[in-house]
Amino acid sequence: MKTFLLSALLVFAAATAQTQSKILPYPIYQKTLSNGLNIVTVPFDSPGLAAFFVVVRVGSRNEVEKGVTGFAHFFEHMMFRGTEKYSSEQYNNILKSVGANANANTSLDRTIYHMTGDAAKLETMFELESDRFMHLKYSEADFKTEAGAVKGEYTKNFASPYQQLYENMVNTAFTTHTYKHTTMGFFKDIVDMPNQYQYSLEFFNRYYRPEYSTVVIVGDVKPEQTNALAEKYFGNWKRGTYVSHVPVEPVQDSTRYVHLQNNSIPPSLSLNYKGPAFSDSALDIPSLDILTTILFSNISPLYKKLVLQEQKVRSLYGGATDSRDPDLISIEASLIKKDDLQYVKDEIVKAIEQVKRNGVDEKSLAETKMRLRNSFAMSIDNPSTIANALAHYIYLTGDPESLNRSYALLDKVTIDDIKSAAKKYFVPSSLTIATISADAEGGVK
Amino acid sequence: MKSLFMKHQGALLLIFSLLLTAILASSSPAQQLVELPIPKLNKVVIKLQFRNGSICDPKGKEGLTYATANLITQGGTKELSYSEIQDKIYPWAAGYGALVDKEVTTFTFQVPAEVLDQFYPILKGLLLEPAFAENDFHRIMKQQQNYVDQVIRASSDEEYSKKALEDFLFRGTNYQHMVQGTSEDVKNISLDDIKMQYKNFFTRNNLTIGIAGNYSPKFLASLKADMAKLSNVTPVIPPPGKAKMPDGVNVEIIAKEGAFGSAIFTGTPLAVTRSDNDFAALMVANSYLGEHRKSYGVLYNKIRETRSMNYGDYSYIEWYQNGGGYMLPPPGVPRHSNYFSIWIRPVQIAVQLQQQYPELKNISIGHAQFALRLAVREVEKIIHDGISPEAFEATRTFLRSYIKLYVATPSDQLGYLMDSKFYGRTDYIKEMDHLLAKLTVKDVNNAVKKYWRVNNMDITIVTDTSEAEPLAKSLKENLPSPMSYSNAVKAGLPKSVLEEDELIAAYNLRVKHVTIIDSKETFK
Repeated sequence: MKTFLLSALLVFAAATAQTQSKILPYPIYQKTLSNGLNIVTVPFDSPGLAAFFVVVRVGSRNEVEKGVTGFAHFFEHMMFRGTEKYSSEQYNNILKSVGANANANTSLDRTIYHMTGDAAKLETMFELESDRFMHLKYSEADFKTEAGAVKGEYTKNFASPYQQLYENMVNTAFTTHTYKHTTMGFFKDIVDMPNQYQYSLEFFNRYYRPEYSTVVIVGDVKPEQTNALAEKYFGNWKRGTYVSHVPVEPVQDSTRYVHLQNNSIPPSLSLNYKGPAFSDSALDIPSLDILTTILFSNISPLYKKLVLQEQKVRSLYGGATDSRDPDLISIEASLIKKDDLQYVKDEIVKAIEQVKRNGVDEKSLAETKMRLRNSFAMSIDNPSTIANALAHYIYLTGDPESLNRSYALLDKVTIDDIKSAAKKYFVPSSLTIATISADAEGGVK
Repeated sequence: MKSLFMKHQGALLLIFSLLLTAILASSSPAQQLVELPIPKLNKVVIKLQFRNGSICDPKGKEGLTYATANLITQGGTKELSYSEIQDKIYPWAAGYGALVDKEVTTFTFQVPAEVLDQFYPILKGLLLEPAFAENDFHRIMKQQQNYVDQVIRASSDEEYSKKALEDFLFRGTNYQHMVQGTSEDVKNISLDDIKMQYKNFFTRNNLTIGIAGNYSPKFLASLKADMAKLSNVTPVIPPPGKAKMPDGVNVEIIAKEGAFGSAIFTGTPLAVTRSDNDFAALMVANSYLGEHRKSYGVLYNKIRETRSMNYGDYSYIEWYQNGGGYMLPPPGVPRHSNYFSIWIRPVQIAVQLQQQYPELKNISIGHAQFALRLAVREVEKIIHDGISPEAFEATRTFLRSYIKLYVATPSDQLGYLMDSKFYGRTDYIKEMDHLLAKLTVKDVNNAVKKYWRVNNMDITIVTDTSEAEPLAKSLKENLPSPMSYSNAVKAGLPKSVLEEDELIAAYNLRVKHVTIIDSKETFK
């Protein structure tokens, strides 16, 4: 049975390898304008449809000054507040006429503005987006008003105890680096946002610049067409001068603890180890991706033991975060009983230690590489998903080809690489343990 | 607008529309088939939709359909345990799951085309010979019990108020309970109940097969032949519950310890569904009032953009699955019993405002009543005045492009075609486009007058225990609710907004009953 499965796998792997030397089976066309703005075009067979994304490499990571956490996200909101040419209402009216699915979102390292719609309206998309990126204009009154919407967003998120724990966890795991605060920011800073109008102008001046931005267009488009439109609408965008200096996180020297007392949800355990920064040339991140998939997915011995057989755990997840600076490798478990918190932690650590000693088996390694590739290959069935995937690597490295390089790197990972990554990153001194239970203290050692 | 986290974004329209045509056929009187061949696709999507949902749960065993579907997808087959199945499909990244709604249950399988034949015995085994193992049963029931006991109350106040609204609006009917069931009734579900539910309700006689992607006629023939081996029972599906017209405006306030804001949903029965041509007219009116997660709607503009009260405000003329997560409406939730609803995302409560702004230290309630008054008043204005020809044209133009984005992926396109059959249509998206093209502003305004109302409405508000009593009193006694802005925001507001605020603060919601319910007592 096993032999049959393995040979079937090999046939499938060969078929996959033949058809996909690069994980993205479409060429990526890039053109950098003289002001530094990169234009990325991927023609895709989606008649009449196009996704138009602007990726700005600014996120809560850049919030280095005290008292202005959450500002990258707040600024994303302000980008919908109008320009010299179009008021907010006019902008909305034109956007509505495009009939697109348009929105924006912010995270640690980036802000993404996206719209997907009628490819025939591509020029309108360029016109609308270039206008607000180059000529944003809002009143102080509008600025103060928008701060309330951000507070409303925090209010809805805060209903989740997991969100509350996450906020406390990052605040504990990091002492210096800006990953210490969530993208929403500290609540006291959110309440104070209406008083930061001047800073908002400075923020726009610093970061909403061509050298921080990339335009991505995927779908029923041609690179000649998108490049010409980019030149026409973004060609006059002025390059900036600001360079962001993000403080380096000192090496953590002992395990840290965070606990939330809450009896309204199941007990929860989160183990957070300090991990590496993203790279498309070093093997650490792909090794950790494979390792955490092998250790914590629903085929792992640990999952089978804790979730399926003993049924002490409801769900198990683990993975490293792709971030520009060293971030966390997190393992999350939702439990049935709080009395098992220590046991579950010990079992997770035991599984990690086993990999440090013995590595993983060849079959698991081969199957996991195949799984990660297949999962991606099946997901890219529409322009938005492809644009999102490119945006991910653009904010990490600035280069969309990182997508192809990262999956190629995945194939190079060996058992020794996985052992090395496990030994290097899963150490008690870099760990932050976060728990939720009905007890006043977490009690997990 | 502008959500902080990446969400699933459906993308685009008719990606493959020029390449292929959906083939709708009926393979036998009982077994319906929807085909969407896409030879160049690297995968196959199979949807098995059974015309049975939580309305088929027996009394006292609410949540049984959900448990049955979950035990099928999270259990094993006669040949393989759950664990062995996961081992086998792991390298392929094949996946599957079930979506249970009130009237249908849909199993969706996605698999790389190259391994379809190797994967197929698993699909076949899960549907035809599910193991229904004791150990799997205990595991999935613990999850389900936890959802109804804790998760729904503790993780999202917005989702909580939405589910609570259905519990209120459909009280006493088979539409009342959550598909996951209730705290008391989930405990009553046995493994034998699941086996019976499977035999009596997941049968060859209420199945629609959907398939999209790169598959062969031979494969489809096998699938059809095998699914004809499902139980031959003709399920007795109870008629879907209809919401009783609320007697006036009634409010249930759910008092929850430690809530950070007030999460609001309103609902009133709606006589039309996607089956009716009037639905297109209401789509325009609804999009104008409060298109989901868009900044164009009147509610969004007035509550969020102008007054900074919360994160967003939207309206609906049918159920919207997981509105907090999806930007575009997913398929798989067709229903016969509709209602018109308004979603007001959490607004500030008095305690929070008092702490944040010294100038608001004397307020007695937060923003919930004002937000409600504003929203209902806008609906009443549309009923009374209609929408303008310009707004009609702009909204119709938007929708004719936008609804095509609902079917951006092969999976969603297939799902929408299958849902179309539920409503007696062939291709809902195409047919709506034709209806929208023929529509006039008069049609829209007539439909609004005919179907929308503000005098018979149920409202649920999940809020902090500190807010519940004062809010209940203010609603019950129709007390004025002047908007409590911080000084910083108020100073910048135009006079026209402040004048409108005075009208809103005094608007009569005509509330007839207000009940406060302890969070622990909901969904019992």
